[in-house]
Amino acid sequence: MGAVAKNKNENNRENDSDRRRVIGKDNVAEAQSDEEVYPSGVTSHACSDSESDSDYLDSSEDGEFEGNQSPVDSGAEDSDSFDDEDDDKTGNDSGLSGDEQGNSDENKSSEQPQGGEESDSSEDEVAPRNTIGNVPLEWYKDEELIGYDITGKKLKKKERQDKLDAFLASADDSKNWRKIYDEYNDEEVELTKHEARLLKRLLKGKAPHVDFDPYAPYVDWFKWDDAIHPLSNAPEPKRRFTPSKWEAKKVAKLVRAIREGRIKFDKPKEESQVYDLWAGESSSPTKKSGHLAYIPAPKPKLPGLEESYNPPPEYIPTQEEINSYQLMNEEDCPKFIPRRYTSMRNIPAYDNAVKDTFERCLDLYLCPRVRKKRLNIDPESLKPKLPSRRDLKPYPITCYLEYKGHKGAVTSISTDTSGQWIASGSSDGTVRVWEVATCRCLRIWEIGEVVKHVAWNPLPELPILAIVVGADVLVLNTGLGSEEDQKQVEELLQVGAATSLDDKTLSVSWIQDDRYRYGAIKLQHFKTVSSVEWHRKGDYLSTVMPAGESKAIMIHQLSKRLTQRVPFKLHGLPVTSVFHPTRSIFFIATKKNVRVYDLLKQKLVKKLETGLREVSSIAIHPAGDNVIVGSKEGKLSWFDMDLSSQPFRTLTCHPKDITNVAFHRSYPLFASCSDDCTAYVFHGMVYSDLNQNPLIVPLEILRGHSSSNGRGILDCKFHPRQPWLFTAGADSLIKLYCH
Amino acid sequence: MDIDDSNEELSRRVQVRFITKLEAPLKVPSASIAVPADLTRLGLSTIINSLLKSKNSDWEAEPFDFLIDGELVRMSLEQFLLAKGISVEKILEIEYIKAVVPRKEEEPSPHDDWVSAVDGSFPGFVLTGSYDGYGRIWKAPGLCTYILDGHSDVITSVSVINQKGEENIDVATASKDRTIRLWKVDGECHGNHPGKIRAFKILQGHNASVQSVAAETSCNMICSSSWDSSIKLWRTNVMDMDGEQVSVKKRRVNIKDEETQTEEEAVSTLLGHTQCVSSVVWPQYETIYSSSWDHSVRRWDVETGKDSLNIFSGKVLNCIDVGGEDSALIAAGGSDPVLRIWDPRKPGSSAPIFQFSFHTSWISSCKWHDKSWFHLLSASYDGKVMLWDLRTAWPLSVMDSHEDKVLCADWWRGDSVISGGADSKLCISSGISM
Repeated sequence: MGAVAKNKNENNRENDSDRRRVIGKDNVAEAQSDEEVYPSGVTSHACSDSESDSDYLDSSEDGEFEGNQSPVDSGAEDSDSFDDEDDDKTGNDSGLSGDEQGNSDENKSSEQPQGGEESDSSEDEVAPRNTIGNVPLEWYKDEELIGYDITGKKLKKKERQDKLDAFLASADDSKNWRKIYDEYNDEEVELTKHEARLLKRLLKGKAPHVDFDPYAPYVDWFKWDDAIHPLSNAPEPKRRFTPSKWEAKKVAKLVRAIREGRIKFDKPKEESQVYDLWAGESSSPTKKSGHLAYIPAPKPKLPGLEESYNPPPEYIPTQEEINSYQLMNEEDCPKFIPRRYTSMRNIPAYDNAVKDTFERCLDLYLCPRVRKKRLNIDPESLKPKLPSRRDLKPYPITCYLEYKGHKGAVTSISTDTSGQWIASGSSDGTVRVWEVATCRCLRIWEIGEVVKHVAWNPLPELPILAIVVGADVLVLNTGLGSEEDQKQVEELLQVGAATSLDDKTLSVSWIQDDRYRYGAIKLQHFKTVSSVEWHRKGDYLSTVMPAGESKAIMIHQLSKRLTQRVPFKLHGLPVTSVFHPTRSIFFIATKKNVRVYDLLKQKLVKKLETGLREVSSIAIHPAGDNVIVGSKEGKLSWFDMDLSSQPFRTLTCHPKDITNVAFHRSYPLFASCSDDCTAYVFHGMVYSDLNQNPLIVPLEILRGHSSSNGRGILDCKFHPRQPWLFTAGADSLIKLYCH
Repeated sequence: MDIDDSNEELSRRVQVRFITKLEAPLKVPSASIAVPADLTRLGLSTIINSLLKSKNSDWEAEPFDFLIDGELVRMSLEQFLLAKGISVEKILEIEYIKAVVPRKEEEPSPHDDWVSAVDGSFPGFVLTGSYDGYGRIWKAPGLCTYILDGHSDVITSVSVINQKGEENIDVATASKDRTIRLWKVDGECHGNHPGKIRAFKILQGHNASVQSVAAETSCNMICSSSWDSSIKLWRTNVMDMDGEQVSVKKRRVNIKDEETQTEEEAVSTLLGHTQCVSSVVWPQYETIYSSSWDHSVRRWDVETGKDSLNIFSGKVLNCIDVGGEDSALIAAGGSDPVLRIWDPRKPGSSAPIFQFSFHTSWISSCKWHDKSWFHLLSASYDGKVMLWDLRTAWPLSVMDSHEDKVLCADWWRGDSVISGGADSKLCISSGISM
């Protein structure tokens, strides 16, 4: 029975394959007509498609064949198989695949009754009887079963036949050579003739099917002959083998986008979308940025827990607290006193409703409609970073010495080059020379008139003083030098009668004045002189007569006893004049500006615009490129001459007039003194590097002088070698501030 | 309760034993006694005095000073022990010495002008220099025996050169008239009127006022410092003066009737300071110490003329003296109220080892006591002369006898302090027991 079914099946297969071939041919024919449309790759695909189609057909036909089977067919098959009998014996054990095939066929036949319509397109779908799975069979060698079926019953192994019986049976059965024991499923399988033949062919290395001819003649389905034109004879277009320009551009664009980060591969995490409930009524001004600054109305206070009709007990004030509220100010006591009601029905009408509404309206009406922009910057951070004062030592700090003796305000002081002596002029009509170290007054000259200015000759071998008294300038011999020096000075201060010309052109007369000890020369001017200044070489001195108009500033040469006016046109009222400490440059300070002249080229070099109301004093840095100017409004301007004609920095420190400013000769210090009885000491470091701005640090406020007639400190001078500051006060004292 | 009370009592008492190096009549029994812990120096002094009185009924009370572990007690005993971390468990040994305070203020000796220099190194007299240009020799307070006449300007410094003989003492004076003059002074006094002396030698060479003069120990040389920032060494050669006179070119100076006056050039000049050299001392033959306005203290090697030590003080210095332990400590004062003491033997540091700041103005003078290692005096522009002991940071005593700046001060006879100032007085505070 089983064998018959198998044969039948086998037949089907045979037919199938034939049919398939035919159908395949048809398909190809169909494809042929399509070929002009599809490229070559596609046609093959179509072929495979058609094959699968044929499979379908196959299966449907299978069912038909199963129904009505012709025995003739099977007989023919049988006869066919006999020819190959001998050969098949040898290929017995090697036909594993065939074995399986047969096996599956058998299964199929057992399933046939229930699954008639079921497709058996794939023979592999038939499950093996064995259910142990794909494990080595030795594991089940000693077991009785080979697994369990789907209902849980044991699949028993077949009883082993006696070897002798088996041999006898095999001897009897002519088909025994076609039987194989399937160890896996524990059953005997009989190969069909067809299978045996297949195996034999496989062993020989031929195609398994008899009918398959590997060397079939090639059928050229393309009709070459009739076509007038070849299908395409054109050479391959260039675009086929050159890289596409547009693709390259596209790639470049993408690369650029990736580099710039426009394309991101790891997407940012999706943030949970939150619905902003208050978005509509938000107070952010950005919403209405198109309009004028929108300021939302102030919001009313939201009700709190205490305004509930049934607040928690801790909110309810005690009777004492309520009583205390009545004693309190109306503004201090709370607006609302929480009370407890048993239900909402018991809440009385709110008696302040109208008042509250009114106040709310007032709030809306009176609320400020101007937005104040407030910068949240720490004011300390805006201060420039200055070095610590401790690092800038030494500088004058404390006053230890006082030079007492003058009866009137000390108007001017001047130190000699060595720093051993200091000269002072006073409104009591005396000029005094003091010893710096001991405060001893060494010399006194009674002039009889207010001494406005004193200036010590910068040469150490010429211990002479220039003093301003009214319209005269006196050049005094102090008598302090050695004998040789004294001789030289005496010669210098001899004015013969011939030299003292009373010319109109000169307007200054040199007169020997022997009233004073050690000798002196008087230079009579025609107007009141305000200040006198020595040139660094000690031979020239300049005097300033504010009312002298075109002859306001004169330069005198001591050795030749010559006087000349400065060869420049003067603008405004001159206040002071200073020589440059190293070069032949001359500074003239008028009330508003400072003009810088070159004495050799006789021309204006620069005009410093102070921007001050009234200049009172000027001092030149010993290097010569920086100038400080003090003004009567208490401002101190620092000019960097290389930088600009505007002040580099203006320091507003004194509440009253600055009377004098001074630079130290060697230490980086400068000072200003004022009528407010204080002197300020600054650190003023000038760097040789032109790119670096001068460093100005206020160091110390020196107090100690007392005010007299509204005047405070009238003059200040640094000690030439020590970081000490002398101040001359209107209280007739000279103070020395030491480091 | 009782126990607690007694404990408290005990804790406030300290077991002490007084020891001393003083002579017999000042010794107290060495038995230990319990004294209250809150005693100060005065209390301790009273105890010693009462102990001495119990031994000797006609004992007159005397101030004492007390040393614990080599440090003077300047606060209450309790505080002192606490501050020093000294245990009270053991018996405390307190050494007592005579308090270094002047007991007597002599009558001030008036001058015509400010007293700028004073020297008390010769016990027989006090030499002063004044702003009127005269030097003076004071035999006793108020008794002027000689006037040194010759300088045309302020005398800035005086120094006694020869201390050997009694009869002929040589002194040197430096002046702002750029000269140094050497004088011969008779050790003996003759007559009441002060006799005038003329200088026998004028040393010229400085270009600016001479600030200080100091004599070498063997008296053959003197050195002087000046505003021209140099230090010059001069040979005095007092002994063979006549021989010198022949060789040296004679020149008349100012005064007509001067015959024995000779002039001399400096032997050598020490250059290095950049500003006024305010003070020099010459304690040993080969080394000179100098202080200057350029803020430095230098030690000079006389042989080579090089400075072997340079201490930067940061302030202008007015005075310097060398003394103390092994005559090695340098004391200097200047343009601030701090008296600084350096130890040049200490390697690797130029920081002062002591700083005394009790003055309120510039320090004009400082001098070590020549016998004691610990004591020195300082004079200041605030009008005070202070006595210092290295063992405490407080002044031992403050002499406030001047009304104006004190310009100079020195020890005299080992037990007196002499000082001159801007009130034109020479004040002598005597009776200082060392």
